Amino acid sequence: MSGLSRINTSQAARWWRSIDRVTLICVGILIGFGYILMLAASPAVAVRIGASRDMFIFKQVCFLLLAAGIVIATSLLSLRGVRIAAWVGFVLALGATFLTLVHGIEIKGARRWIALPMMSVQPSEFLKPCFAVVTAWLLTVRKERRYFPGLLVAFGLFGVVLLLLKSQPDIGMLSVITTVFLTQLFIDGLSLFLVGAGAASMVAAFIGAYMVFPHVRSRVERFLHPAVGDHYQIDTALRAFGNGGLLGRGPGEGRVKDLLPDAHADFVFAVAGEEFGMLICLFIIGVFAVMVIRTLLKLLRENDPFIAVATAGLMTGFGLQAFVNMGSTLHLIPTKGMTLPFISYGGSSAMSVALTIGMVLALTRSRLGEGRFGQFGQAPSSNRKVPS
Amino acid sequence: MSNPIHDRNGRSEQASLPPGGSLRTLMAQDRMHARLLFLAGGFFVLFSAISFKLTLATIIRPMPPQQQQIAPQVPPIPKSDPKGIIAGDTVLPQVHRASVIDRTGQVLAMSLPVAQVYANPLEMIDPTDAAHKLKSVLPTLNEAETKRRLSLNKQFVYLARDITPAQELAINNLGIPGVYFEPGERRRYPMGRVAAQILGGVDIDDHGVAGIERYFDRRLDTDRTPLRLSMDVRVQNVVHDELQGAMDMFQAIGACAIVMDVHTGEIISMVSLPDYDANDFGKAPPDSRFNRAVTGMYEPGSTFKLQTTAMALQEGVAHIWDRFSSIPIKIGRFTISDMKSDHFAPWLYLPEVMAYSSNPAAAHIALDAGAARQQDWLRHMGFFSRVPVELPEAGHPIIPSLHNWGVSTTMTVAFGHGVAEPPLSIVRGTAATANGGFLLKPTLLAHDSAPAVPGAEPAASDADIPPDAERVISAANADILRKILRLDVVKGTGQKAESPGYYVGGKTGTAEKIGPHGGYLKHVNVSAFTGIFPMNAPRYAIYVMLDSPKPTAQTHGWTTAGWNAAPTASHMITRIAPMLGLFPDTQHTAAIEAELAIPMEPAVPRGYRALGPDYDPGTAHLHEHDHEHDAPARAARHARTPRDATDTAQITDRALHARNDVRRTPAQHPRDRG
Repeated sequence: MSGLSRINTSQAARWWRSIDRVTLICVGILIGFGYILMLAASPAVAVRIGASRDMFIFKQVCFLLLAAGIVIATSLLSLRGVRIAAWVGFVLALGATFLTLVHGIEIKGARRWIALPMMSVQPSEFLKPCFAVVTAWLLTVRKERRYFPGLLVAFGLFGVVLLLLKSQPDIGMLSVITTVFLTQLFIDGLSLFLVGAGAASMVAAFIGAYMVFPHVRSRVERFLHPAVGDHYQIDTALRAFGNGGLLGRGPGEGRVKDLLPDAHADFVFAVAGEEFGMLICLFIIGVFAVMVIRTLLKLLRENDPFIAVATAGLMTGFGLQAFVNMGSTLHLIPTKGMTLPFISYGGSSAMSVALTIGMVLALTRSRLGEGRFGQFGQAPSSNRKVPS
Repeated sequence: MSNPIHDRNGRSEQASLPPGGSLRTLMAQDRMHARLLFLAGGFFVLFSAISFKLTLATIIRPMPPQQQQIAPQVPPIPKSDPKGIIAGDTVLPQVHRASVIDRTGQVLAMSLPVAQVYANPLEMIDPTDAAHKLKSVLPTLNEAETKRRLSLNKQFVYLARDITPAQELAINNLGIPGVYFEPGERRRYPMGRVAAQILGGVDIDDHGVAGIERYFDRRLDTDRTPLRLSMDVRVQNVVHDELQGAMDMFQAIGACAIVMDVHTGEIISMVSLPDYDANDFGKAPPDSRFNRAVTGMYEPGSTFKLQTTAMALQEGVAHIWDRFSSIPIKIGRFTISDMKSDHFAPWLYLPEVMAYSSNPAAAHIALDAGAARQQDWLRHMGFFSRVPVELPEAGHPIIPSLHNWGVSTTMTVAFGHGVAEPPLSIVRGTAATANGGFLLKPTLLAHDSAPAVPGAEPAASDADIPPDAERVISAANADILRKILRLDVVKGTGQKAESPGYYVGGKTGTAEKIGPHGGYLKHVNVSAFTGIFPMNAPRYAIYVMLDSPKPTAQTHGWTTAGWNAAPTASHMITRIAPMLGLFPDTQHTAAIEAELAIPMEPAVPRGYRALGPDYDPGTAHLHEHDHEHDAPARAARHARTPRDATDTAQITDRALHARNDVRRTPAQHPRDRG
């Protein structure tokens, strides 16, 4: 790859050598699926929302290209670059999330969106990866500087984020960020007792949400009592899977998908199930599993706690989002509107996920023997890398 | 991109440590790695759960999509039946509703496979071309409109309805993407007007809404073998033809005729006019859809005297040698009289009462029997309830209040006024007097063993009587009634019903119709003839009724049954009897006539005291109840049910003024009413 023209391509070649190529390929595969499934789901959705189908496709192609660009651009960042980007992104996203409460567009009873020309943005999507990196930094820096109250600051920021998301309200995002936060504390080495307490308080919070928010309660009840109430959405999704079977009906041959209310976003996995069948769906699950589990296992050879905690947090958020989306489509968990990374339609989601994976790629770059990256500081600590 | 400060900040602690780090750092790292492993394991479990649920939802226990969700994708595969194994030639494959056939196998109602053509315009490549191609197969298609529909921004438009399978195949062969078919079926009645009211009709969803279609709705939908009716379309056609002729000739507003097998109760023919084309059920006017034979309630008039006589004989109240007064009876404001009584004796023997059809005499017979026995008899004969036939339209007769059944009610009912019965009930009662005394259930279904052509077998016998038929009249009395009915045609009011060689027997009946204000209309009658043929070995009951016939030159101004209904019945018998396997027997006329003869004035056998001028207990009855003179009015009012005057004869207090239909035989004094 890098052998032909060292002078002109050295930067790119080094990037290619150091990058986690498997994860990158996985991202490529997911973006490819996102494009194909968006073609499948768009006609019905375009008719339903009254928009032009071409516009719909054009926008998503733009989003996906943008996402690919963000992945690559972010993956070029150094550790410090990641940290700075995360801090800047966190502050901007926090501010924008606060702005949604004032100037947000209200969709289905929640203010999560800010209208921009060409698209509307959901700032809390960007909060998720940025906050994960920020938390990782705060948790690790406190060990180096005894006087720095990293844990306290982390909890303080978490509290602010919690308050903002609760006011929107966006319980889904809130629970993902909370889970990521707890996971990071867990990885960082918080005592199991405290982690348990955190998990318990999360359960308590869920029960509280069940009590307070009627839509949460109705969803949980519909999940627990399948015989009662309206199950049109989930039944339709399951019928789409049933119609697909092992090999699917073939591209464009899905029919049940036309009746899915959110075929392009929350229920895109059902479209995949109907048109491409179980095997392709298993493949998609496999791609997500490879990305998440492989990256986490790779961290076992990583001794830098910042890299480990940040990457674990980012990947937990990513994997959890994929799990919640596919799980609710398959009626494994109560319905929760969450996008399937890279596959669902949506600009904010695609870019936020691209940012997440870009950061992961940047953090997990192989730094062994990299000349220029190491030359500014002292010799890279030998315990940080295990030669592979 | 990177700077040394960053690295110093980030790794100052680690950098200061020797390779491998302090013990504490190593422990922290180990703990972190263990927890990362745990996290990775957790995700492995989550993704495995998803994979498992996915396998469950797709191949192990898939939830099948609903039919309408995937309708365009998975069209039902039509069952091919090239050899016609599934059914005979009257049942088409792909239709679910069974045919209705007559007893000879002629198709009366059948479902034809059709298809609705629809399209998904979003799948259309070239609407103009598609419309043009469709037009080549469907000549009636509006090409411009079709093109417009195909260009709509919709997912579903209908293009054509009820196209034939051949057209469906042709359109399919055009191979236009986005054009689909919805299979369906349409009920057709190939015989048109034949038995239209009996067959009824179906709604847009093929559910029966009237007639046989409604009564046997479930049967027709579940069992694909054709439903075989007792009707014979040939007989039905002839009866229809003759009845229509009579209706036109006498300018009647409605007419009805029934032919029924007196041994099995099978209805061979049932016509109600005016009628309609059964294929236009939805557009037919209500008057045409009205089945006069079972829904129409008409005062039976003198045809009901047959029941009075049968009751009197069976109950032992009267004998054929008893005599009854034909002198007009005054009761309160009303008078029961014949039109003119000067042409027959003031005291009539029982056969004469029937032959001359005297109202006062019939009233006296009923008085002798009494109200209780009269009610019991009528109830037993089914005149108080719906006629049991397989038609949902069978109506409830209109009868006086049973609690106010006074003397006057007893007398008026005796000659068929003050009650309104459906014609089929009258036929049922008539058949019981001719088949040896069994009350049958009229049926529209062919008996399983019934021959395709009625009468193809030799003369029927009493053995044909269904086992559940109830004997209501003794054989001896039935024999007497049979002879009396024959007498009425030979010498009485029904002479014009005679059909040579068929020995018709029967009874005429004329009832005045009730006007819109409740009073009887003087010259508007319902004239009916109920009869049996051949009388020497009864096979069929026949009934003809004309509603409001007008006088003609041939009837010398008469509108009574003897002048219109009776001759119509004669014409019908002459034409349908050969179809039914009966041929005129003119060889043994003398012997048969002798066998059927009954004297007009039978001698009183020794040891009996005959009723007559010197012994008349019934009349005493009448004077006992003089104070009840206003009872009939009350009774009649109770019985009155407001209805369209053209449909149902009503009952009013003027029932007592009903006159005899024909006070003399038409043949004898034709000029009297010129």
